[in-house]
Amino acid sequence: MDTSEVEFLAEREHVKIIPNFTQDKIFLISGDIGPFSAGLPVSIPLWLAVNLKQRQKCRFLPPDWMDIEILKAKKQEEADSRFFTEMSSPFYMEITQLLLQWGTDDIPKADEIRTLVKDIWDLRIAKLRSSIDVFVKSEASHAKLNYLTLMEINTVRLFLTKALNHMHQLRLMTSGRSQTQQSQNF
Amino acid sequence: MAAFSTAGESVNSYFNIDDILASQEKIPCSFNVDVAAMGYLDQSTTNVDISVGTKLELPFWLARYLYRGTRSIVSLETPKSYREGYRHILKADPNVVDLHRLGPFFYLFGGKLISFQLPDADDIASILLKTFQGRFRRIMDGSQNALHTDLTGQVSMLDEQERQLFAAGQQGLHDFQKWENRESEKLSTSVMIANHRKRKRIGVSTQPS
Repeated sequence: MDTSEVEFLAEREHVKIIPNFTQDKIFLISGDIGPFSAGLPVSIPLWLAVNLKQRQKCRFLPPDWMDIEILKAKKQEEADSRFFTEMSSPFYMEITQLLLQWGTDDIPKADEIRTLVKDIWDLRIAKLRSSIDVFVKSEASHAKLNYLTLMEINTVRLFLTKALNHMHQLRLMTSGRSQTQQSQNF
Repeated sequence: MAAFSTAGESVNSYFNIDDILASQEKIPCSFNVDVAAMGYLDQSTTNVDISVGTKLELPFWLARYLYRGTRSIVSLETPKSYREGYRHILKADPNVVDLHRLGPFFYLFGGKLISFQLPDADDIASILLKTFQGRFRRIMDGSQNALHTDLTGQVSMLDEQERQLFAAGQQGLHDFQKWENRESEKLSTSVMIANHRKRKRIGVSTQPS
């Protein structure tokens, strides 16, 4: 899976904007959007929000969790907990990235938010890596990780599947030596 | 996705190039019978035949067939890098060992050795798994962290399969990094198309006008 595909999935998340134009509902396969009335906040998919912003037809309203205090608390919680904590949005990284890329002027303290989100990301990735290591060393056959987001999974997917595949082959040698013998008898 | 594509590259796959290369690794053998007209295999003698007791290093693919059956033509020894001494080193600290020097296909060849039912096959099998588990963290951290540093020193210690793993980790990191810098949204010509165009132009220029 590509990072851009993950981003594509994230673009279906709704964000709030304040449009500066008035328009009736838009009817789309994925659902109706709108109606828009100038100056009133409305919740629309991220892809449309970015598109409207690029044409300067709206202002972003940052999501509730995109706030310095909340993010700081979240970071502390993530650092204190041994396990993954539930993120306010399963696409927090992608939403932050897109909103901050296009709407730096709409979001107060954009730089601090970017740093905080990146910090949380780093914490979580470090946690992910140590749990993978524990998993590999423990020779368990499955592990369960709650609240891991798609983007986080995506960064380790190729590596992890290859590594587990390799482990599986090595384990087959240990357990099923007679099998390898058979398969070579052709 | 990736899981499906790697599932096809199983160890004993006939078309797996790594598997083929791994079967070239040498195993110390000694002959139990005289073999006529094969003396040229042994560089140290000028005899025409191979006599009983001659010790030779044979590649795995040859040894595999000579060792078969109840009355084997050769008897095998465990190669040096899988013997007890090396196993102790690997048990002590798998991270310091240069697996690429011990054999570029340490795990694959080890797996092939195990199929011979040598007396220490169980030990070899367990040390292969333990070695990988011990080295795993280092490979993961190395491949996922360093973006713009020279990794040759680290990679040179890795076995061929570990290198593939390392490359996979690097790819994940690079993908994410590219996305973060907003480079992945730029569309670029696929390699196939670029090459295709080039080939076409050659075709055009050779056509008689």
